[in-house]
Amino acid sequence: MIEVRLFATFREGRDKVSFLDSRDFKSAGDIIDHLKIQRNEVAILLINGRYLAADAPVNDGDILALFPPVGGG
Amino acid sequence: MRYERQLLMPQIGQSGQKKLEQSTVTVIGAGGLGSPVLTYLTSAGVGTIRIIDCDIVSESNLNRQFLHNSDDVGKLKVLSAKEKLSKLNPNVNLITISEKLDTDNVEGIVTGSDVVVDCVDNITTRIIAAHACMKLNIPLVEGGVCGFYGYVIDIGKDFPCLSCLGYDKAQPKTPVPVLGVTAGAIGCMQANECIKLLLGIGEPLYGRLMNYDGLSGTWEEVHVEIADSCPVHSSIK
Repeated sequence: MIEVRLFATFREGRDKVSFLDSRDFKSAGDIIDHLKIQRNEVAILLINGRYLAADAPVNDGDILALFPPVGGG
Repeated sequence: MRYERQLLMPQIGQSGQKKLEQSTVTVIGAGGLGSPVLTYLTSAGVGTIRIIDCDIVSESNLNRQFLHNSDDVGKLKVLSAKEKLSKLNPNVNLITISEKLDTDNVEGIVTGSDVVVDCVDNITTRIIAAHACMKLNIPLVEGGVCGFYGYVIDIGKDFPCLSCLGYDKAQPKTPVPVLGVTAGAIGCMQANECIKLLLGIGEPLYGRLMNYDGLSGTWEEVHVEIADSCPVHSSIK
């Protein structure tokens, strides 16, 4: 399974945390598409705490964290 | 006595209070995040606080920027902030700099700071501040807000920065929606981190992206690592 953690506005209308079958997804981008999030709306994409591009492969046991821009002050 | 209650804390005491009084903190931005940060650092007795902001107060600031009020509309934010803060604690040396932070002036402005606190409202300035602080080896407390959400993370040259997270490529929608309470929560957390770093106590949020969700009422930590491709870390090696 892949653990997917969503933050900030990505949580609105979606689960904060979900567990997806790793066999259904090849890349982080596939998961972003599955969640119906526009790829250009993702400000931070972390796989196991490390920044990677959307085409990065995902594997069983990975933790994916997605953040929109939260840059106000 | 002004500091009586914090002198009672074993983590502060007389020696910690002296450390705070001998410290210099630069706060970039005197708006939604800057209001709680400046207020709590001033009330805690940080010796010298530099306040950087080039904006003037507008009415649309007042839902969250509590250092300013209706009578301040049209005034420079740094002067409006100094007016309130000097009444809160006249012992603090408040230095105002009404300039826009850019690559030319940033190092001159932050040099000599024990800690810098980033309270700006745009990613470009965040990256400029982070780059300078990492180059000069000054700890930086970073925070951002959007609606009911926000984050805090401490940045240092041996720890992940926003560019490590790919955040420098983000395209936030403007104007950013912000509830005053959210800026208050994140700003208070930033002030707390700043005091910890000044005193060398506790567990700083280095490599720990602390996320606030005001709707669910939760704080959640995400572990982050330095990215091999980080342009900021590469440039200071």
